[in-house]
Amino acid sequence: MLDTGGDHACCDRCAGAGTAVRIARRRLLKAAVFRTADVRPADARPADVRPADARAADARASSTAGARAGATQGAAGLLPDRARARFATSGELPRAVTGEIIDVSPHFLVVSNGASQQRFALTPDATAWRGGALEPAALRPGDQVVVRLHKKARGVADRIWANIGRVTGTIVERTRDGLLVDEGTTRKRQFVTIPPRASGRIQVRFPSLEPGYLIDVIGLRRGGALEGLIPATSQPAYRVDQMPAPALVSGHVPDAISGSATWHEPADEPPGVLGVAYPALDPEVGCAEGPGPGVPGNARMPYLSIGSVLLVRNDCTGSSCALPVTSCAAVGRLFNDRCVTCGTSPRSRVADLTQASFVALGGELERGCFNATITIGG
Amino acid sequence: MQLSVVVREVQVPLLASLLLGGSAAKLVHMLRVRSVDAALGPTALFPVYLRRPAAMLICGCEFALGVGLILTAGRICRGVPTNAVRLGTALLFLVATCALIELRGTRPDIGCGCFGDFSTAPVSGRALARSALLAVAALSTVGLPPLQPPHRGVAAILPLGILAAELALVAVLSPEIGEALVRLGYSEPCELRTVPAERTVAALHRSSQWRRHAGLVSAAEPVDMWRELCWRYVVYPGELHGRPVELVFAVFLRQHRPAIQAALVDAATGNVLPWPGSVRPATEADRMRRLIRAPAPAFSAPTDPGLGIPAVPGVRGAGVR
Repeated sequence: MLDTGGDHACCDRCAGAGTAVRIARRRLLKAAVFRTADVRPADARPADVRPADARAADARASSTAGARAGATQGAAGLLPDRARARFATSGELPRAVTGEIIDVSPHFLVVSNGASQQRFALTPDATAWRGGALEPAALRPGDQVVVRLHKKARGVADRIWANIGRVTGTIVERTRDGLLVDEGTTRKRQFVTIPPRASGRIQVRFPSLEPGYLIDVIGLRRGGALEGLIPATSQPAYRVDQMPAPALVSGHVPDAISGSATWHEPADEPPGVLGVAYPALDPEVGCAEGPGPGVPGNARMPYLSIGSVLLVRNDCTGSSCALPVTSCAAVGRLFNDRCVTCGTSPRSRVADLTQASFVALGGELERGCFNATITIGG
Repeated sequence: MQLSVVVREVQVPLLASLLLGGSAAKLVHMLRVRSVDAALGPTALFPVYLRRPAAMLICGCEFALGVGLILTAGRICRGVPTNAVRLGTALLFLVATCALIELRGTRPDIGCGCFGDFSTAPVSGRALARSALLAVAALSTVGLPPLQPPHRGVAAILPLGILAAELALVAVLSPEIGEALVRLGYSEPCELRTVPAERTVAALHRSSQWRRHAGLVSAAEPVDMWRELCWRYVVYPGELHGRPVELVFAVFLRQHRPAIQAALVDAATGNVLPWPGSVRPATEADRMRRLIRAPAPAFSAPTDPGLGIPAVPGVRGAGVR
């Protein structure tokens, strides 16, 4: 087995409780400078553009996602209203729960998030995924799951993904056992195995499984490795060190940018945190999340920082919500792909969502992306 | 012909073209975003339900006055109508100047909207000066006799020279010129521009905002610094009447004399505090005393390499990788 330890270094920007406090603090300080900024009508309630069912669910929200996001919420709770006016809270995105299965039967599912247990009813419409579609009752205790709750009934599981994982990065080594993939300097290197049954499917979309090329696969977590089953996109034809220069921008970047929204596994961030990794953090922060010196990003996107707020809209479902930037999508910016979940999106990845955010916005984890439009504000 | 008369005559076509240009730019902006509500600038001072009519009124007034200046320039409508149009123009620019001063104080983050999409930079002294200059120019045309047909030959040099000089002055006072260069692709838009943090801090330290409030600052290095689009925020710890406070500066990422906004925040509660009446700038002795009492540690807070605040000036990212 290859060494996956790598030289990963988690800098100050990795999402965690400290980041949540920093996000809240920065919003407060920004609001202090531009005191009237938060009373703009366009800014006042960005979450109102969500479907009516999501808004109606706000009052009833009490999910694990909310508990995980509690770090953010808790910090914001101490702050004046103006500073938290635009945060996505557990009340706004209550539909995702993550944890470990404690018990499962044909009629209910019990999930533990470490601190508490939650019980969900399973209806005949509920579906599950563990490498492929299966009956929810076929899930096993010990499986790590992401549960999407029913739109109207919060105690009912709508969709369950078990042991799902994703590796997105640059192949650094290939052996007979599998591939060693670098996901950026702040994340641990990942080991990917490709079983024979999935090999053909993956190689159609990723013909060059060689060091220096990019890979993005979804599969099952088995110990410390990922069993790659589904290609999440098509492989760019270029090596990472031979990336084409980004297109020149004439004029200002538009307020709303469309592209592909993907998801990532939690590394150092709480599993249910609501947030987004953004591909163009201010290069002046000097953090080690970049893909390496001399490697430009593919899209030219406006520079932001941890704590900036993005209004992310799922163009396929119409759901949208304001989410804070919690980390840098260092590898995501190397891809110049499109999402074809509903129609064909413009090129480039505009947001790399946490699992909870992706699911709550109506994304299907095994599809890897949804067509999205982000609006910068907050 | 007297020089003063020529100068006054030049103002009429200049004002008319600026008014029509501003009106057209606003109209294009509204058509582009498909909303009258999206108008920029002083309309933000109005309640939400009044913004649409206010935007339409401003655009309509500019167009009407621009056309009016042209129609009344000659011998048609001499007398009261001519003076009414010119006085109206002067009044418009006077009100605009006052509105921009108010906008600068209450909404420092948005542009004047004078030329639609081109006027997105925060209202600066230049924009105020331009507006005031145009108000004076409009006022100078009141009582001017009908304009003469264009001169020919050598006689045309004087009015053309004055027009060119005034256009150059207006251009210097117009932040929209830089914006036009960005649009044409000759300059990188500010949200994509890489601006070193050191330059931002240096610009802040040269500003009047800093000189006014530096007496409250209790550390040499900022405790936090981050960027959003065209603004970089710099936070310094401070002390007011024995209470820990934080001074927040928002610096617009521009090469020269950037717009800077500041706020004073209670470090414990997060509440915005009023600036103290008169903060005496810290003397060198005061600063040295503070630094000796609380020296900036080399590799820990208040420096924060992870956030781009170098532990040692000039050494970016030290201790991170």
